[in-house]
Amino acid sequence: MKLRRSMLFVPGSNTSMVCNAFVYRPDTVMFDLEDSVAIEEKDSARLMVYHALQHFTYEDIETAVRVNPLHSIYGLLDLEAVIRAGVDIIRLPKTDTVEDVLQMQEVIEKIEFKIGTDKRTKLLAAIESAQGVVNAVDIARCSDRLMGIALGAEDFVRDLHTQRTKAGSELMVARAQILLAARAAKIHAFDSVFSDVRDKEGFVKEANYIKDLGFDGKSLINPNQISVLHKIFAPSGDDVEWALDVIEASDNAKEKGLGVVSIDGKMVDAPVIARAQWTLELAKASGMLGGDE
Amino acid sequence: MNKIKKRAYAGTLESSDAFIEIEPIEEDEIRIELQSSVEEMYGDDIRDLIAKVIKEMDISYISVRVQDKGALDYVIKARLQAAILRANDDKKIKWDKL
Amino acid sequence: MDSSVSFSDFDFTNARRVKRVEKFLNTIGLDFPSSIENFVIAKDGNELIACGGLDGKVFKGIAVAPRRRGEGLILSIMTRLINIAYSKGIKDLFIFSTPNNIELFEGCGFKLIENCDNEIMLMENNDNLANYKNILTKERRDGNVIGSIVMNANPFTLGHQYLVEQAAKKSDWLHLFVVKEDLSEFKFKDRFELIKKGVSHISNVTVHEGSDYIISNATFPTYFIKDKGRINELHAKLDLMVFRNHLAPALGITHRFVGTEPYCVVTNNYNKNMKKILEDPDGKSNPIEVVEIQRVEKEGRAISASRVRELLRVKKFDELEKIVPATTMKFLKNM
Repeated sequence: MKLRRSMLFVPGSNTSMVCNAFVYRPDTVMFDLEDSVAIEEKDSARLMVYHALQHFTYEDIETAVRVNPLHSIYGLLDLEAVIRAGVDIIRLPKTDTVEDVLQMQEVIEKIEFKIGTDKRTKLLAAIESAQGVVNAVDIARCSDRLMGIALGAEDFVRDLHTQRTKAGSELMVARAQILLAARAAKIHAFDSVFSDVRDKEGFVKEANYIKDLGFDGKSLINPNQISVLHKIFAPSGDDVEWALDVIEASDNAKEKGLGVVSIDGKMVDAPVIARAQWTLELAKASGMLGGDE
Repeated sequence: MNKIKKRAYAGTLESSDAFIEIEPIEEDEIRIELQSSVEEMYGDDIRDLIAKVIKEMDISYISVRVQDKGALDYVIKARLQAAILRANDDKKIKWDKL
Repeated sequence: MDSSVSFSDFDFTNARRVKRVEKFLNTIGLDFPSSIENFVIAKDGNELIACGGLDGKVFKGIAVAPRRRGEGLILSIMTRLINIAYSKGIKDLFIFSTPNNIELFEGCGFKLIENCDNEIMLMENNDNLANYKNILTKERRDGNVIGSIVMNANPFTLGHQYLVEQAAKKSDWLHLFVVKEDLSEFKFKDRFELIKKGVSHISNVTVHEGSDYIISNATFPTYFIKDKGRINELHAKLDLMVFRNHLAPALGITHRFVGTEPYCVVTNNYNKNMKKILEDPDGKSNPIEVVEIQRVEKEGRAISASRVRELLRVKKFDELEKIVPATTMKFLKNM
């Protein structure tokens, strides 16, 4: 079960960030070739990301690339480059409809076939408009390549004729819809970036809020936010104890060949076990079980 | 061997990056002018890398000027390839050569 | 790595933003160079934290807010400035700046030409000065007194001709440099031709095309607005230092001749400065003697190029005839 608490946004034109992002150990590094890259740097940033993806520093870290839209002259070139370079996930810019996803999927399939790779590139759809939010349920279940959907708040609030606020009420509906759509389709849900890098308190508040809502993680633009976010996502000691008990009971049941797992005389079903595994993954990643952090 | 069509450049002068300028020349040679913050330790390696990337792209008759700010190998490679593709206005990219 | 810093560029038509740059430079104690065409700025949020400009082939006004120094902002500004210059097809570039960041600029591929008493410095991104010095060296002549004159001659008058004749008489050989920058009413090509024709009767003079290194927009930007009485002393100093330390040694120049300017305070000050800098016995190259030559007068008035331009405007050719050589007259009549 892949943890995706933090997805670090790395502008493809910012070389020092491209080269150093792995140091901060985000769950996923997301190289951007779209909005953060100026028109005249598109070609150069594409090559940079193409090589970075193949570098050993990104071997054991999940990588995503936000490509330019297919209707632009850069979209196809971006895909040709990053799929060859073995990217894990393509983040679709601005997904409004199911067709947007299917069209992208078709192009990716063609490229994968052409270069003869076995790798199935995953998709992440960014929902950044009212239309996208309305279609979120259909979008979330339209492709088995889709590993998640993400809210892109900046464009969304503009489309909604409002702006971002500290309280975040403007995103209430979109967050709820995206989360429900993702959960119903059994894929991941990601929250938008928190853009005021100086407001640490505000970030902590928002991160806690989206975690409680049920989001899997959040896009980040500042590497310093990663450890903060991971701490917030770390399970409590009680949760870990509970999860350890559940897994132990499950392992015992398996050993004894029992079809039913129970703790303290109560039956434990598969989703609960899955949840316990997830909690232990989180605990491990948070260094609570001698994990890697 | 191929010549490049015109003068071109790519990259930045920022830390961890490289700024690379290339120019066609009349002589069949790869002329490299390198200024690097890590010249003493890696100067020769960087020059070798530059020559290798240029040869892989079937280019000759070229003068290269590099301001290196401690860039990783792949950064230099990316910037140099970007400059060469720009110099030739190459729209059809031969990915297996990059 | 700080993602809150954003960069933008714009040109001189963007009055509001230009005003902001001017204010920014003033708050950190720097003059705003008025002739910048393209600007690059760095902002943190809405606060301006660094800037730089391009004037022709010269980068100037490069500055970073004191509390943001050491973050590498200059390198980002320089990258963007170079991109702008290159995209305009300008390849040979200069930096005109206070000498705080020489090493950083060297890391951008620039070489120091001259550092003027740690007040102002000039750098370039190529070997053009070395090449130019090599070309000049080939024009070297033997002699005890190797004279020099630098003139714009906008256009060439009897006054200029008199100055050259007098200087040639006092010299074994005379090197005459013609300001190359095309910022005057008469184009370089025409000014150069009129000088050549006007001194053709003198046997010991070489007329040189000027360059970026002698009264140019790079070495001496305010020279070209001297009519406004605003020659910047620092600029003058830089120009004279480049002349003394680079050009004069290449030709073995021992003397520089200038016309006196009885009425022009600006030129007078410039001549005074010239004496101070070129004759200074402690310089890093041989001192050069400055010789002032009394201006020739006609009917109680000094002959000047500005008078010629004035008469030309009102088409008083009979008056013009009295103050320009026949060669110049012929040209003016055909204009």
